[in-house]
Amino acid sequence: MGAALRPVSAAARRGWWVPAATFALPLLASLWFALAGALDAGAWVRLVADPALPRALALSAGVGVAATVLSLAITLWLVTHLHGTAAWARIERTLGALLAVPHAAFAIGLALLLMPSGLLLRLAAPLAGWTSPPDVSTVHDPLGMALILGLVLKEVPFLLWNVAAQLRPVAQAAQLRQALLTGQAMGYSAASVWWRVLWPQLLPRLALPLLAVWAYGASVVDMALVLGPTNPPTLAQLAWSWLLDADAAVNAQGAAAALLLAGVVALGALMAVAAVRALRPLLRVRQVRGDRVASGGASRAVAAAVGSGALLYGLALALLAFVSVAGVWRFPALWPQVVSFDAWAGVAASLPVLGHTAGLALASAATGVLLAVAWMETTPAGWDERAAPLVFATMLVPGVMLVAGLYQLMLLLRLDGSLTGLWLAHSLFTAPYALVALAPAYRGFDARYEQTARALGRSRAAFLVRIKWPMLLAPLASAFAVGFAVSVAQYLSTQFVGAGRHATVTTEALTLASGGQRTLLAAYALLQALLPALVFGAAWWLGQRQARRLGLEAR
Amino acid sequence: MIERRRLLAAATLLPWVGAARAADPAAWERTVRAARGQTVYFNAWAGSDRVNAYLQWAAGEAAQRFGIKLEHVKLGDTAELVKRVRAEKAAGRSTDGSADMGWINGENFLTMKREGLLFGPFAEALPNFALVDVVGKPTTRIDFSEPVEGYEAAWGMAQFTFYGDGRRVAQPPRSLAELLAYAKKNPGRFTYPRPPNFHGTTFLKQVLLETAGDRKPLYAPAPADTATLLAPLWRTLDELHPLLWRQGRQFPASNAVMRQMLADGELHITLTFNPNEAANEIAAKRLPETVISWQHAGGTIGNTHFLAIPFNARSKEGAQVVIDFLQSPLAQARKADIRHWGDPTVLALDKLSAADRALFSQGPAPGSVAQSAPVLPEPHASWVEAIEREWARRYGQ
Repeated sequence: MGAALRPVSAAARRGWWVPAATFALPLLASLWFALAGALDAGAWVRLVADPALPRALALSAGVGVAATVLSLAITLWLVTHLHGTAAWARIERTLGALLAVPHAAFAIGLALLLMPSGLLLRLAAPLAGWTSPPDVSTVHDPLGMALILGLVLKEVPFLLWNVAAQLRPVAQAAQLRQALLTGQAMGYSAASVWWRVLWPQLLPRLALPLLAVWAYGASVVDMALVLGPTNPPTLAQLAWSWLLDADAAVNAQGAAAALLLAGVVALGALMAVAAVRALRPLLRVRQVRGDRVASGGASRAVAAAVGSGALLYGLALALLAFVSVAGVWRFPALWPQVVSFDAWAGVAASLPVLGHTAGLALASAATGVLLAVAWMETTPAGWDERAAPLVFATMLVPGVMLVAGLYQLMLLLRLDGSLTGLWLAHSLFTAPYALVALAPAYRGFDARYEQTARALGRSRAAFLVRIKWPMLLAPLASAFAVGFAVSVAQYLSTQFVGAGRHATVTTEALTLASGGQRTLLAAYALLQALLPALVFGAAWWLGQRQARRLGLEAR
Repeated sequence: MIERRRLLAAATLLPWVGAARAADPAAWERTVRAARGQTVYFNAWAGSDRVNAYLQWAAGEAAQRFGIKLEHVKLGDTAELVKRVRAEKAAGRSTDGSADMGWINGENFLTMKREGLLFGPFAEALPNFALVDVVGKPTTRIDFSEPVEGYEAAWGMAQFTFYGDGRRVAQPPRSLAELLAYAKKNPGRFTYPRPPNFHGTTFLKQVLLETAGDRKPLYAPAPADTATLLAPLWRTLDELHPLLWRQGRQFPASNAVMRQMLADGELHITLTFNPNEAANEIAAKRLPETVISWQHAGGTIGNTHFLAIPFNARSKEGAQVVIDFLQSPLAQARKADIRHWGDPTVLALDKLSAADRALFSQGPAPGSVAQSAPVLPEPHASWVEAIEREWARRYGQ
């Protein structure tokens, strides 16, 4: 059986490094340039001497750990109790939309809800007798709780989406049903089957998304600026401000701080792997203990959790819309004293920017998906894990540093300020996300389809174009949507590589944000959420239509 | 056709070409000719929609008057420009740079001048330089205690100013002592941005000047041991901090954040470097009309912001022509007008013709400073690092 296939695989394998190199070379060059900045002994001396360092580092690590652990726990709990129900189908449908909301936009909406002059405390004001916002840290709290909350609300949908992607391929779905039926026939509750049989198999496959969650939580800047502690801020925020300073010596200190943070992230990941290894025997004992625990009445709590999560998202977005027209809105009034549509007039004036943003995002998302497909088609599966560090380097290394390196590369190639350079730079960021989004479906694709097609005398190209890619249309479309969202969200790479000449919705939003004009900021944040939401919607619709056509529905 | 257009352009040029005389009229004429058809990438902070709208107006004028395409490259932080030009220099790009013109001052200017990232000297050869008030506004030639020497052209004036909601602050505190007294009566309703934020550091410098027994040493380079001279500053802050927002344990990131907190009623008093900021925001319907601005009666720190040309700019002639236009009475008057921007002019009104002077006459707008105070020059630049380092050690961890 394998003999018939060998020539094809060998041919594919001979060139397997091409997509990897296409991606890795610019990345490695950027990393090299970036790290060169941190090879300055004086910078490390200044960093260590900085009085804010110990607490800032502890905050970064603490926020990252808390966000990761909480997000994982909530994800496990939700999936265990919801999978297979009608509610799960509804959640799966809305995940794309939740993912499409940019982190920064969501953080701003959440802050508008929680901050001392925010909606919640305005509602409470008559009861408490407040005439001014109370002097309490509901956001920017010294322990980073508001930031952790924001991160968890953004990461749970991301993890749920990854779990859904793992379970969606037909073979996996069938296996899952089988396990649940067998387990229940043996007297185990469904939750028991999840904990003892399904999660131990699924969790290793969530390792990469979890690593992304941890890396993001520890090194996030945009959400931290809106929700995080301020004195000191997290190390990621400090590194960001140092790297953006006009003084080259301060830049070097920032590069050192960023490198330190990346090291802490890597160390944390290694420690987590070691901890899982050490705990495995303990978990196994529990797995095979054989006791039949009655299924608790978790369903009401689960419904409440899902409901309040959805409500928070809805409120955050609604507040963005509301605040975009609230000129003067003094505490504790529930309705603004001055309503002004000036912000939207400003948005209307920069409509060409919207087209420009979409064009750039379409091109870089397409390139990212193309690279990811080329990788999946030509690279042996075993290399996925070996290449993972490279893929995650783009997520691990703070964006500022990577952009600094990428920018130097573009300068050497004389591509700075050009649309070509900008497209290449964005593609470097969309490709890894497309890869992560595509991998489960691609690796889970049933190899027998190819064997059948080959046995019937079809060429490999015909198989790919007529069978495999149409069957994988849904994951391909959602990988495209993820890439699109990543491109739309780029700020620094757009500003530096594009020499500031190619404005996007995000550069407009963030340059305006530097002036703190809230109505404009809210309007642009909504716009920034709208574009990816449209593409996620289109991707979902495409996937649904294709599933109906091919009769691929899991249920 | 072409002839007529050129004539028209010449006619529109007349009002200020006549008023101001270039050091070398023939050379300037050559510059204006060379500038025609050039594209000028103007890298400027874009955090204010009104500033952006003003620059859009300037772009229209530059196209119509000089045939120059002026493109506003929007920056969130001017350091982006410094870093970009530095990276271009490091990559050997000594011509064809990505920026033709930038809006800078202070630390960014010092860095760019010291690292040889600026083109010049050019500013004192521009025709409109003759109208700049170099005597009454000495900061138009000294920036961050560094002599400007023609490497940047003065564009607008700034002076440290406080503002607050008049319904909460009936008697604005017009000195540091009164500010302390206000904070005692209304704890938690004033704060300042966390240094090294520019406005935060400026507040510290203002406190330093107001508490210093003798200001003279502060205008000389900071000595190795600054403890004695800085002691009054820390004493005052130790007294003030418990009365601040969040008891001085946390600080907002910027004065933009503080402005919103004031608008929401969370703060009573905030600070700015633009004396017309409050008036401006009232006009934009983002602050209530009851907001008032004031300066400390003993004087507040003032400085100037400038326009500069990177050493590797592609359109140096175009940039100079645009800069000269932005220094013209017409452009300066529009910039000073609160309906457009509200940024005080760098020109000496007594040097202008009566007609040009009339452009500037406008009544006080709601929210503008009622009684302006003297301008205090900034302490020597070397004090900044000493203050910021010690602040971080005492309060920033």
